Amino acid sequence: MRRHLPVAAAVALVLALPPLLSSSHLAVFTLLGLAATVTVGLSLLMGYAGQVSLGQASFYAIGAYTAGLLSVHGAPTLAGLAAAPVVAALSATVVGVSLLRLRGHHLAFATLATQLILLSLLARGEWAGGAIGLQGIPRLSIGGYELAGDLGYAYLAWAALGLAVLVTANVMASRPGRGLRALATSEVAAAASGVPVGRYRLAVFALSAAFAGLAGGVYAFYLGYLAPGSFPILLSIEYVVMAVVGGMGTVWGAVAGATAIMLLVQLLTTIGTQPGMPSYAPSVLSYAVYAVVLVLVVLFLPRGIVPAARDARIRLRR
Amino acid sequence: MSQLLEYLLTGAGIGAGFALVGSGLVVIYRVTRVVNFAQGAFAVIAAMLTSTLLASGLPHGAAELVAVAAAAAVGLVVGVIAIGKPGTSPRAALIVTLGLGVFAYAVEVLIWGDQPRSFPGLAGSTHVAGARVPTHYLLVIGVTLPVFALLAAFFARTDLGKALSACASNRYAARVVGIDVTRMGLLSFGLGGALGGLAGVLVTPVQQVTFDSDVTLIVNGFAAAVLGGLTRPAVTLAGGLLLGVAQTVIAGYGGGAYQLELALGLMLAVMVVQAARTPTSQQEAMPG
Repeated sequence: MRRHLPVAAAVALVLALPPLLSSSHLAVFTLLGLAATVTVGLSLLMGYAGQVSLGQASFYAIGAYTAGLLSVHGAPTLAGLAAAPVVAALSATVVGVSLLRLRGHHLAFATLATQLILLSLLARGEWAGGAIGLQGIPRLSIGGYELAGDLGYAYLAWAALGLAVLVTANVMASRPGRGLRALATSEVAAAASGVPVGRYRLAVFALSAAFAGLAGGVYAFYLGYLAPGSFPILLSIEYVVMAVVGGMGTVWGAVAGATAIMLLVQLLTTIGTQPGMPSYAPSVLSYAVYAVVLVLVVLFLPRGIVPAARDARIRLRR
Repeated sequence: MSQLLEYLLTGAGIGAGFALVGSGLVVIYRVTRVVNFAQGAFAVIAAMLTSTLLASGLPHGAAELVAVAAAAAVGLVVGVIAIGKPGTSPRAALIVTLGLGVFAYAVEVLIWGDQPRSFPGLAGSTHVAGARVPTHYLLVIGVTLPVFALLAAFFARTDLGKALSACASNRYAARVVGIDVTRMGLLSFGLGGALGGLAGVLVTPVQQVTFDSDVTLIVNGFAAAVLGGLTRPAVTLAGGLLLGVAQTVIAGYGGGAYQLELALGLMLAVMVVQAARTPTSQQEAMPG
């Protein structure tokens, strides 16, 4: 029971917080839930499959466009939301079959290239609204009840995060999860012990894409408008920063990393938009924050804040 | 026929730019096994600095030289941060250079704003065997070829170049014979910065540069360099030229909209084929 106490407290906090927030803070809270959902998947991929993806935002985009396109063309919105993670996972499987032969920097560049190709295709595709974007996405309706208020989307985003955390925790505790942990240490050793390396890597890739797709689906209904410009390469890098800062391969690290970066950038944006500050200040400050935090953490806290804090606590107890 | 020659020469000009970006990646990777994601930023910084220097009245030539020297200095700083701390693995260094590339965005937007920048290069066009080619493309080719020749001679003939190559082939053995591997690594970052800067000042007159142009630059540079496994300058040059010519020919004979997709697809195909030929155990033994 004691183990579940922090989780219960976190859930209670998430349920109690949204009605107390102002509308701009509620937007940050919603986007944080979505970013953390993507980061949980990426952290899984980086921590267990040991691979850096610089194109995670492409699966976020695929999920968003799937949900958006389906509902614009008259499909029930709930079906659009359900299809988002499925289509994202399927695309990851198709792309992953060949790309996951690559390792390290090769895979990093390959995922970057995949996202550039996707963005270019979306910007040119008439069916996707081209560079202007996809407009008029209806609000999500669940069983005849239309989810119109921002409060509902805040809960929806955090429900998506809850689902991602739950799935990840269960996968990691299972027998395949142990195989994955072996895979993270050495592929050759894992393969020698009978772990189907290729299939597992592909499965993790697809799962991480499904989380990103789900978050993208929620995003589509929340914003009601999608454009290729909403999914830049920098967004993919942002997820990497969040995963690295929190600590790769830990669920709570991903959530903590996303929260830390999001709040920090938000704080600096507030400072940057003060009267008297130049118009470019918010973007300059956020680029600088991503960069400085990423570099400092990689050099001085290579395992991320959550594992480092855990180590510190163990040392203090002695 | 003359149209084909036109496409070939223009494409070679564009490809030479890719090859120069790629050569910087190769020099750094050869010595340190770090893939430098900040390579595109060197080009952007040099290009933007040149536009400022030219606007303030410095003549052509001098402005470009100062910018390339500045890019070399930036490369050195990136190197100090990326590999200066003992025990930084190449994978960690890769993420550090990625972070520094983003940091460059902040600096660039702060100094030069977020609008595209350009400056004039060589004006007019030259007739080559009946084909009209913008003269600036010939300048890019004319600078790139000697640079690659010098690079090859430097690595093969000079003591310093040999020491650099020694670090590349076996770090431990290099250290044993008294080569300061870290200092060589920093030198390679400085050289990589200069090569990136050179690419930037050469390409900008025919292709505007914004603060986030580094992504396309580095992806094309990586595509050029990946053919030679990121270690062979001569193959990088061939890869860059091939890529540039392929893009121009495709754009010239229709399909202009899809040149980026085709170039990136080609890179992905090359990497997948290369990876399929290398056993997993060998890939794991390679850092990064």
